Amino acid sequence: MPPPAVKNYKLSGSPSAPVTLELYTDFECPSCRMMYLDVLPPLEAQYVATGKVQLLHRDFPLPMHPYSKLAARYANAAGQIGKYDVVAGQLFRTQPDWAQNGNVDGAVAKVLSQADMAKVRDLVKGDSHLDDTVTADVAMGNKDNLNQTPTLVIVKNGKRQKIDGNVPFGILKTYLDQMLAKG
Amino acid sequence: MTESKRWWPRLLLLAGQIVLACIFIAAGYLKLREPWLQFAVSINSLKIVPDNMLELFARTLPWIELILGIVILTGVWLRWSAAAGSVMLAVFLSVLVRSYALGMQVDCGCFGSGEPLGPKTLARDGLMLALALSVTIGAFLMRRRQSRPA
Repeated sequence: MPPPAVKNYKLSGSPSAPVTLELYTDFECPSCRMMYLDVLPPLEAQYVATGKVQLLHRDFPLPMHPYSKLAARYANAAGQIGKYDVVAGQLFRTQPDWAQNGNVDGAVAKVLSQADMAKVRDLVKGDSHLDDTVTADVAMGNKDNLNQTPTLVIVKNGKRQKIDGNVPFGILKTYLDQMLAKG
Repeated sequence: MTESKRWWPRLLLLAGQIVLACIFIAAGYLKLREPWLQFAVSINSLKIVPDNMLELFARTLPWIELILGIVILTGVWLRWSAAAGSVMLAVFLSVLVRSYALGMQVDCGCFGSGEPLGPKTLARDGLMLALALSVTIGAFLMRRRQSRPA
């Protein structure tokens, strides 16, 4: 019997949701931080939790940010033990601190138990496949002609619409409501 | 006046008119190809339009640019359409200069998304404004010359 498929920890919401939002971010990008902290909470409450939208996080670390790959590695390690959202949220909240000195470990340690932190450290240190999802996300981002973060890709009926930049929730809500009303 | 002196201002005006028309048509068309949300995000990054007006601006401005470009291309009411184009470009340029001076990280959105604002953008938009003003002045001068008794 094959092992059960690992749940995609970057994906949330109902699989039957008519619209999927793929959000490309870089943990070290200040605009991504704004989007994560300002837009995601109401989006998750009003659209993801209600089954209207499925949300997929995608990593797109930019070369100019020295610690973004490391941060993504910690987030993905946390994802392996079911703590992706907690760690991703913490990384964005504390971004101004660890982006100065690279102390990603210290920021993550504040929101995980000692046992979980030990598991995350082990994965960050030794899991050679930990960056596989990042590689896949970057490849998909290149296919989507990404040139900045944050970028939102709105997927409906297989059609992908790329929206560059920080999308304010109010205008995103208007757009999603119109899209969902069309059926 | 020699024959050559009579035709070159017309030709110059025609060339300017065509280039200006193409600029507006391209600007409108490239924005209309993208979801209106994309242009709304670009406008929002400038921080000058209230949130409740973003959709209206994002939906109408590309059409205005496209129609204005077509009107300029036809040459009908050229003085007024070129003047309208000059006013639009002057407003765009002043908004971009303000954003640049304030150090804002904005997407110009001039010809669709993915163009961060920088000195090159400002120089290009400045040249476009100079072209629009030249066509406007040229069209007025041409009209005055035509209405002069022979």
